Amino acid sequence: MSQQYDVIVLGSGPGGYVAAIRCAQLGLKTAIVERENLGGICLNWGCIPTKALLRSAEVLHQMKHAADYGLAADNIRADLDAVVKRSRGVAKQLNQGVTHLMKKNKIAVHMGVGTLKGGGKLEVAGDKGSETLSARHIIVATGARARDLPFAKADGKRIWTYRHAMTPTEMPGKLLVIGSGAIGIEFASFYNDMGAEVTVVEMMDRVVPVEDADVSAFLEKALKKQGMTIMTGAGVESLDVGAGGVKARIKSKDGKITEGNYSHVIVAVGIVPNTENIGLEALGVAAERGIIAIDGYGRTNVPGIWAIGDVTPGPWLAHKASHEGVTAAEAIAQELGNRDVHPHAMDKRNIPGCTYCHPQVASVGLTEAKAREAGYEVKAGTFPFIGNGKAIALGEAEGFIKTVFDAKTGELLGAHMVGAEVTELIQGYVVGKTLETTEAELMATVFPHPTLSEMLHESVLAAYGRALHI
Amino acid sequence: MAVRGAAPAPAVAAKGDRIVASPLAKRIAADRGVDLAAVKGSGPNGRIVKVDVESAGTAAPAPAAAAKPAAAAALAAPVPDFGIPFEAEKLGNVRKVIARRLTEAKQTIPHIYLTVDVRLDALLKLRGELNKALEADGIKLSVNDLLIKALAKALVRVPKCNVSFAGEELRKYSRADISVAVAAPSGLITPIIVDAATKAVAQISTEMKALADKAREGKLQPHEYQGGTASLSNLGMFGIKQFDAVINPPQAMILAVGAGEQRPHVVDGALAVATVMSVTGSFDHRAIDGADGAQLMQAFKSLVENPLGLLA
Repeated sequence: MSQQYDVIVLGSGPGGYVAAIRCAQLGLKTAIVERENLGGICLNWGCIPTKALLRSAEVLHQMKHAADYGLAADNIRADLDAVVKRSRGVAKQLNQGVTHLMKKNKIAVHMGVGTLKGGGKLEVAGDKGSETLSARHIIVATGARARDLPFAKADGKRIWTYRHAMTPTEMPGKLLVIGSGAIGIEFASFYNDMGAEVTVVEMMDRVVPVEDADVSAFLEKALKKQGMTIMTGAGVESLDVGAGGVKARIKSKDGKITEGNYSHVIVAVGIVPNTENIGLEALGVAAERGIIAIDGYGRTNVPGIWAIGDVTPGPWLAHKASHEGVTAAEAIAQELGNRDVHPHAMDKRNIPGCTYCHPQVASVGLTEAKAREAGYEVKAGTFPFIGNGKAIALGEAEGFIKTVFDAKTGELLGAHMVGAEVTELIQGYVVGKTLETTEAELMATVFPHPTLSEMLHESVLAAYGRALHI
Repeated sequence: MAVRGAAPAPAVAAKGDRIVASPLAKRIAADRGVDLAAVKGSGPNGRIVKVDVESAGTAAPAPAAAAKPAAAAALAAPVPDFGIPFEAEKLGNVRKVIARRLTEAKQTIPHIYLTVDVRLDALLKLRGELNKALEADGIKLSVNDLLIKALAKALVRVPKCNVSFAGEELRKYSRADISVAVAAPSGLITPIIVDAATKAVAQISTEMKALADKAREGKLQPHEYQGGTASLSNLGMFGIKQFDAVINPPQAMILAVGAGEQRPHVVDGALAVATVMSVTGSFDHRAIDGADGAQLMQAFKSLVENPLGLLA
């Protein structure tokens, strides 16, 4: 016996559960299948709990610098267990929030491992046996997991992935972080603030290599100043786990091998899509190295099977997955005869990225180098935090905001920021960019004083040689 | 009157004179001389975004002429009221664009007209045979489908006529995209068969049917009617014997096709009856000399009279 739906969403991360809600809003009979926790990695084991951890680290950092603000705080210490407990509490609260949203939208939740069987059928193997669901459309939103190093699997004791790093039972004394993408650099920042001695090894020639080169350079300097050791252009050759820790052989830029002993290692060298063993191969769903090929709306090559989020080409970000979920839901509704929805394929150049290290990094669109590579005649402007009154009052005068424009048309091609709260500032540019702003509208916008957002204005003015406060 | 009919996201017409476009789209349109009134928006709620203007950009008329989109009214002298009863119909955007572009063409392009008579018997016979052979596939070729192919092949053979006059430079196109005039309810529109010289006639036929249907329903996308390297206009079905068409800028030639009719015709020194049509090419004399235009007409005539060349 099978239960019939219009749409089944496989996976309930930020892509899947949002897709399910949008489907339900559009009047489609919707089910969602989840093997572990509603909300997926993002809010149980990713974005959200790490933000809780980093908030603790930030408060600790501020307490240690209380004197800078004319305050006194003595006997400051961190209770790792309590910090982790708070983080888990935040994740739990949001997990319950998703449960509530599913109920409110009358979405059927099936807990268990789902496998596509063809012909719109999906088998769910749960604790109490298996059941078969069927639907006209199935959205694959099974997400991704951490990539292992070929020579050293994460054991959860000495060698950690993000997942272990989020629920430590002991505080690392000497930590090696492999990979300086968003995940690596956030944990490096957290443990550094918490008092560990941190070394970051990055294979590319700079940290946060997807960001603008100026941002990478600034961040590297800031992290070193905080006491981190940063090795770029370097690779880890081997990890040997012993009783007292991990011995790492690291090949540096100049080919020299150095050996180091670390209490713990965090591996953050990318992700692998969860596309094996869910029946995709048998149905002939086209994929390359596990990444499912889709059109701008999430259609795979097999009619009735859709894919969104981390199982599809990047960037692998929660908000990209959510947006794809909405687009796919609307495209499905359209296929089922809804004439009132007009889904639009996403423009990937308008997807912002945020990294919550200290100082924070945020960006959208093309870096200056990428813009030049693409053949644009570039106009770029930079404005430093030191020129902003609010930043100085906050005691956060480090960082800058850089904007990149097409000199010919005035199109905002990209924006890149490093400094306090920039993850909350970037959205100003993202709205403008999505609306296809030019420099003229940004210049004509009134920014409130005193705020950090004034720097958004100044950076644009700077690109055209008109900055007021430098 | 709707511009493109009842498409899901009406761009301009439904909102009166207000053009909903992004700042970037407006600026690029101004730079390139694209008339936003003629651009269909693909953004949310039909908003015109960058990509719409860029795809329209290929068909952009000379910047000087298009920089003043409001000039449509100024194209006509004031019409005095002689007291004759009339009904005033506000011009739709398509009509405005037609008025502006054709005025611009006649005023700025020195036209030269070359007419030739072409025997159709062989082509009609071939068409009959092809249609019989393709009946199972549901394909029915029209004479016009074959003429599209013939014009495209002729342009490839005589590349001097497959050009645009662009002020400081001559653009020589490396493929022949044929704009085919279709009478739509909102006015004349010219959907394009891209790279027609290399397409099979059956494919041209299928594409043309789809484009003509879309044109009549007002559902053509901008990229389907903006561009083209030369045009073809056929009024043969109305019995028009011969006419001179106005060039569709920035193209440099248009072929006007008259009716195929049985006429007394001299074959091998003897008077016989043959099916003949008169075709007239209009050429932009700034870019194309008379002799080059004549070569194109000759090539076209030869391809139509020896139509097996259209199948290769």
